[in-house]
Amino acid sequence: MAQMNPEIAAPKPFFDGRSLTRNIIQRRSWFIAFILIDIFVLYSIANNQELIEAWDYIVVGIGVTVQITILSFVISIIVGLIVALGRISKNIIIYNISTLYVELFRGLPLLVIILIFAFVVTPALVDLIAGTETLPGIPFLDNIIQNIVGIDPAVIETTTLRARDINPVVRIVFAFAVTYGAFMSEVFRAGIESIGRGQMEAARSLGMNYVEAMRHVILPQAIRNVLPALANNFILLLKDTSLASVVAVPEISHLTRQYASNRFRYPEGLLILSFIYANVTILMSLGVIYLEHKLQQDKHDD
Amino acid sequence: MTDLPANESDERFLEEPIIRVRNASKAFGAVKALRNVSLDVYAGEVIVIIGPSGSGKSTLLRCINRLETVNSGEIWVEDVQVNNPKCDINRVREEVGMVFQSFNLFPNLSVMGNLMLAQTVVRKRNRAEAEQIARRLLIKVGIPEKADVYPAKLSGGQQQRVAIARALAMNPKIMLFDEPTSALDPEMIKEVLDVMLDLAKEGMTMVVVTHEMGFARAAANRIIFMDQGEKIVETTPIELFENPQHDRLKQFLGKIL
Ligand SMILES: Nc1ncnc2c1ncn2[C@@H]1O[C@H](COP(=O)(O)OP(=O)(O)OP(=O)(O)O)[C@@H](O)[C@H]1O
Ligand SMILES: [Mg+2]
Repeated sequence: MAQMNPEIAAPKPFFDGRSLTRNIIQRRSWFIAFILIDIFVLYSIANNQELIEAWDYIVVGIGVTVQITILSFVISIIVGLIVALGRISKNIIIYNISTLYVELFRGLPLLVIILIFAFVVTPALVDLIAGTETLPGIPFLDNIIQNIVGIDPAVIETTTLRARDINPVVRIVFAFAVTYGAFMSEVFRAGIESIGRGQMEAARSLGMNYVEAMRHVILPQAIRNVLPALANNFILLLKDTSLASVVAVPEISHLTRQYASNRFRYPEGLLILSFIYANVTILMSLGVIYLEHKLQQDKHDD
Repeated sequence: MTDLPANESDERFLEEPIIRVRNASKAFGAVKALRNVSLDVYAGEVIVIIGPSGSGKSTLLRCINRLETVNSGEIWVEDVQVNNPKCDINRVREEVGMVFQSFNLFPNLSVMGNLMLAQTVVRKRNRAEAEQIARRLLIKVGIPEKADVYPAKLSGGQQQRVAIARALAMNPKIMLFDEPTSALDPEMIKEVLDVMLDLAKEGMTMVVVTHEMGFARAAANRIIFMDQGEKIVETTPIELFENPQHDRLKQFLGKIL
């Protein structure tokens, strides 16, 4: 006991400037490096006419990128929740249908799903609604959708919907939503299963039915547990929207390809594109780290 | 009440039992958790169930509010046959409170939230009314100052008292307790048992799985001894402590007393 290591024996100060600095250097240098690179790139862009041109051309696509990301994310969350409930259902039909869905959409490459939705599903649905020589179509739905997509009201009665009337963003949002819905459902399922059986039993023993217990007791806890995983999926989804460029959706990757191939300026275009993606995703990653930290803290607090 | 002779055990046979278990059997795979168990519980009675680990005490309790379903036999709570799949089990559960060994408070809600949730969702009380009832019950279980605290910040004994209050907030006619003090440190057991004793004095119908023999002696009308899924002995506390009849019961009492 007499030879006790003084470093261990000394009480830890509440705030230790040295160890804080050391911690930042050891754990956050990557971020400092990133900021430095960022400043350097920003400086280069500001001082280079070609890069400014590339920036101006590409940056207009951010709106579409964000639009696809958020729309797909919201729909995939809804799909994911419903499918997760199906996956834990005792009803064998519901269970098997949701499992088939998950396995199928996790098994197909996202690119393939995008192509299928853009070139097979959308035209097929349009045919079904507009009608063909062999199909009667659904005239009233046809008119409603023509209205929504902005066909001149004067001619709606005489025309039918065509596949190219459907906005490409709409076509691919569903591709993303169903694919990510499959991933999200697994996240939600894990979250629900992480809540002990006693919670459901306590809720049910108070007279709540299954839906009430899920809604008021299980899901609030489960969703809170999976928030970081959902945020990570959001980042993955954002990056995956670059795949939309294969069906000519004018998001940033597509605009970059256009810009670069038109002017043979691949380095410039790709530098700008990477700059945009990296800044958005790394900032969001920091958000996720903060979120995890906060949830962890709350766990100890309450 | 009419002026009947002051013999409680006679009086109770004038009414229907509030819980009737008839030849209930339940198996988990090859494990027979309940074998042909029958039990009547009358309104206002306190029944204590004892028995070694794995003897089916929890299973019997959980079959009463259908957290488990029996394989054969019948279980009635008042005029509802609980094991009939078509019965409205949620209406039964509103009337049958349950307290678990592991408390099972909702960690995402404050103490108030825990006490008010089922009141508003199931009993459809408005928030003001639910809150009033919740505050009254917190006083009753002795922790009114913890209304806005989250469960993780409470001691085990406090958590269990909140769990009891949560069940009571539904105004149940029956309370089921499954080893409510087994997960508690010794110094907290008494505070929970005191709440339960008060309840018993107020005439709550209670079925309690516990090995707290002090509680059984003080509150139980009858004690059930179970072993290997069977109800072996049903007797009064006095009989049990002074003149235990069955070998396995004697063995068991020898271990816990
Ligand atoms: N959900 C279940 N699945 C499988 N077996 C179970 C399940 N619940 C209980 N059993 C088994 O049924 C038997 C009775 O269990 P039960 O929990 O009713 O006993 P108990 O008397 O409450 O025991 P303890 O004092 O340990 O709580 C045990 O052998 C147990 O392993
Ligand atoms: Mg048990």
